[in-house]
Amino acid sequence: MNTSQPVFDLQSISKAFGKKAVYSNMSLRVKDGETLTIIGGSGEGKSVCLRMMIGLLYPDRGDVLFKGQSVLDMSSEQLRDLRTRVAMVFQGGALFDSMTVFENVSFALREHTDMSEEQMHARSEECLTMVGLDASIMDHMPASLSGGMKKRVALARSIAIKPEVILYDEPTTGLDPSNSNRIGEMIMKLQKELGVTSVVVTHDMTVAFGVSDRIAVLLKKQFPHVGTPDEIRSIEAPEVRDFIEGRTYENGA
Amino acid sequence: MKALLIRLGELMQSVAQWTGGVARLFWVMLLRGPKQPVGLEDIAYQIIRQGVMSGAIATLVSGFIGMILAWQFGDALMDFNAKQALGNTSAIALVRELVPATLAITAGAKMAAGMAAELGSMKVTEQIDAIAALGADPIKKLVWPRVVSSMTGLPLLTVWGNMVAMLGGMFIADSVFDVPAMYFYQTYVEELAPIDYLGSIIKATVFGAIVGTIGCYHGFNTKFGTEAVGHATTETVVATSICVIVADFLLTMMFVQL
Repeated sequence: MNTSQPVFDLQSISKAFGKKAVYSNMSLRVKDGETLTIIGGSGEGKSVCLRMMIGLLYPDRGDVLFKGQSVLDMSSEQLRDLRTRVAMVFQGGALFDSMTVFENVSFALREHTDMSEEQMHARSEECLTMVGLDASIMDHMPASLSGGMKKRVALARSIAIKPEVILYDEPTTGLDPSNSNRIGEMIMKLQKELGVTSVVVTHDMTVAFGVSDRIAVLLKKQFPHVGTPDEIRSIEAPEVRDFIEGRTYENGA
Repeated sequence: MKALLIRLGELMQSVAQWTGGVARLFWVMLLRGPKQPVGLEDIAYQIIRQGVMSGAIATLVSGFIGMILAWQFGDALMDFNAKQALGNTSAIALVRELVPATLAITAGAKMAAGMAAELGSMKVTEQIDAIAALGADPIKKLVWPRVVSSMTGLPLLTVWGNMVAMLGGMFIADSVFDVPAMYFYQTYVEELAPIDYLGSIIKATVFGAIVGTIGCYHGFNTKFGTEAVGHATTETVVATSICVIVADFLLTMMFVQL
């Protein structure tokens, strides 16, 4: 793993929505080529972290650096470039429901490249195969797909333009254990085959421990514990143990 | 009293914020929309979807407005033994005022509500964020074609509506008041100056901009959940109707002074 300049460097971030503070003086680094998983309770702002990385949300204080460049200072052209290099897979897939699977997968290609229809078709087919889907679903509408298939189409859409980083927002939420494992394997496969850096936000401890090089635990609006899966497993702090062993914070633990 | 003033202040603040938000969205759209590629395919698709699909409602509303107005004017003019002026009086009221305003409140509100519901659903399912995350501009992709389509579609519907309203008036004039249809047509056309037609189209274009921008603004600002989509749609219809009436008043004031 590369120990040079981090891909993402979140520095002293504070972020609030109205009176609800989500982050307070939070810092986090994502290293090149690693899979970093962010775990934490529901509604604590894990997805906000991903959104700040690609400029969909801005911090109230602090800075977000992508390979040394501040996302906050980026022009709309630079943001556009950033978003071709950093892809995001949304929690519900966020497939465009008025478009076919092919139109969804080829969206970024149409937007950012001069590819012909045939080339886009070939690339879409390649991406669908990569995520374990058959090219015969190209003409299907998203409404006719199962939850697991939607997530995989969303994944195919995000890798179509060959990003350097993929951000996964709750990739296994709502899926059965078998599909969850499949998505977990997919994340590892893409990291291995495409060499991408991955940031995964999840509640799913099996996925977190299975796919991660490092895990960051979101507690009290910061990431006080960041380490390898083994290091995280060995943490004695009760709030971390409660979370990874499935005892919820909602019960006041 | 203090509570009332606070409430009034909050209301004024929210109206100012809303107006600023809508104006900003329109301005940003004007800056980003015309950049290449213009997106003619998306615009054409929206014109068909928003404009052509509103053809039936525009025909029905305009036809009835023409008939109702001719009947009301005819009844009043009969008292002065001036039913021959039915074409002249109907022309000004229909072309300058009733057709563009009524179509904006009916067909236009339908367009705006459709946009708010569609974009609101996209917002709650994160599709708008997904467009941005894929490096595209949601304002260029979603707002621009919709506002251009409503600014094109509503004037086209108004041109069509003006003709249908005239036919409606002609039918009532001939069948109820015994004013010959051709005489109604001649007096109707004679009464109108080019500025009246132009004013009608300018009004419809402005109403189209209002309808499109408000529909998109409410769609983009939908909160979370399906209930929020319904809320956004209702708010859109109310806001569109009020804004069209206010804009109509301002435009009428302007045209009358020309």
